Amino acid sequence: MSNIDENEILRRLEKLSQIKPTSESTERAINRARLGFTWGTVTRSYKIKSPIFKFAAVAVLLICAGYIIGRVLSPQPVDIEQLRAEIEASLKSSLAASCEQIKNELHQQVQRDLTEFAAQTLAASTTMTDQRLMELIRLIDAARMQDYLRVAAAIEKIEMDKTKLGNSLIALASRTNELSRNEQN
Amino acid sequence: MENRQEKLFELLDKSGASLYALLTKLTLREDVAEELMQELFIKLSNHKELRKIGNWNAYAHRVAINLAFDWRRKQKRICLSLNNVPEIASNEKSPLSNLINSEESQEMLDAIRQLNKAPRQAIVMRYIQQQPYEDIAEQMNKNSHQVRALCHKAINRLRDLLERKR
Repeated sequence: MSNIDENEILRRLEKLSQIKPTSESTERAINRARLGFTWGTVTRSYKIKSPIFKFAAVAVLLICAGYIIGRVLSPQPVDIEQLRAEIEASLKSSLAASCEQIKNELHQQVQRDLTEFAAQTLAASTTMTDQRLMELIRLIDAARMQDYLRVAAAIEKIEMDKTKLGNSLIALASRTNELSRNEQN
Repeated sequence: MENRQEKLFELLDKSGASLYALLTKLTLREDVAEELMQELFIKLSNHKELRKIGNWNAYAHRVAINLAFDWRRKQKRICLSLNNVPEIASNEKSPLSNLINSEESQEMLDAIRQLNKAPRQAIVMRYIQQQPYEDIAEQMNKNSHQVRALCHKAINRLRDLLERKR
């Protein structure tokens, strides 16, 4: 028994026949086809009629021929390995001579720099030491002056105390005399 | 050259829409139909013996049918990833009915593709383009009885092909 009969096939074909593209896409497709074959025709006629293409083709052929002849007639390519070895040897010999000179120059330069640095450091440290000594002397002078002032003040105070003591002793003596006279009386 | 271009413009104005509709029906894709439409007209404009063609319209339709089925044959070899499957042209709105219809349509078109050239053209013209037998006969240089017989045989062959697939 067949599953698909003629009616089923016709129904499917009917469905296919009902498929319709949108009007926008139809318009787009027609425009695209128009552009496509117009451009194709233009390029074809251009190709046939224009002598520029012929000249261009001849020029391309001549260039190709020149290139091929040039490649054939050109000298064989140099041996890269040999060239590399030669360059290496040449560089080594020239570098060996200049290497010693560069080393000496570098040594002298370093020595000069070190000497200069030492001189600068010494000068700087001398200046610093002088400054410190001056500072110390100033401090000692200040301390001594302060001591003098204190001693002077102390002496002045002793002098004043001495005067007071003398006066007190005189007053005591007079009082004592007065008391002894009263006792005698 | 000018004559050729004029004829092509005339053909495009007169039959451009029907050619595009035919290509859409046979490919089920508007984007592909657009491509094939352009290819068809380039092919026609490059044809060397256009003078010998009597009926331009019929010839263009024949070339369009061949182009569409050539495309279908090539498509059989290409596997599309699911993300790249484009929307299929259909008049139905529901996604499920779209899917069923597109499956059926694809199956039918693949079966038509396997027919010989003459029955294939007859089937497409008669049932997809819905042309009368007389018109088809004129385009195929046959009489209407021959076309009827051709269509009948083609339907039987399609039935065999579809059954074999199940």
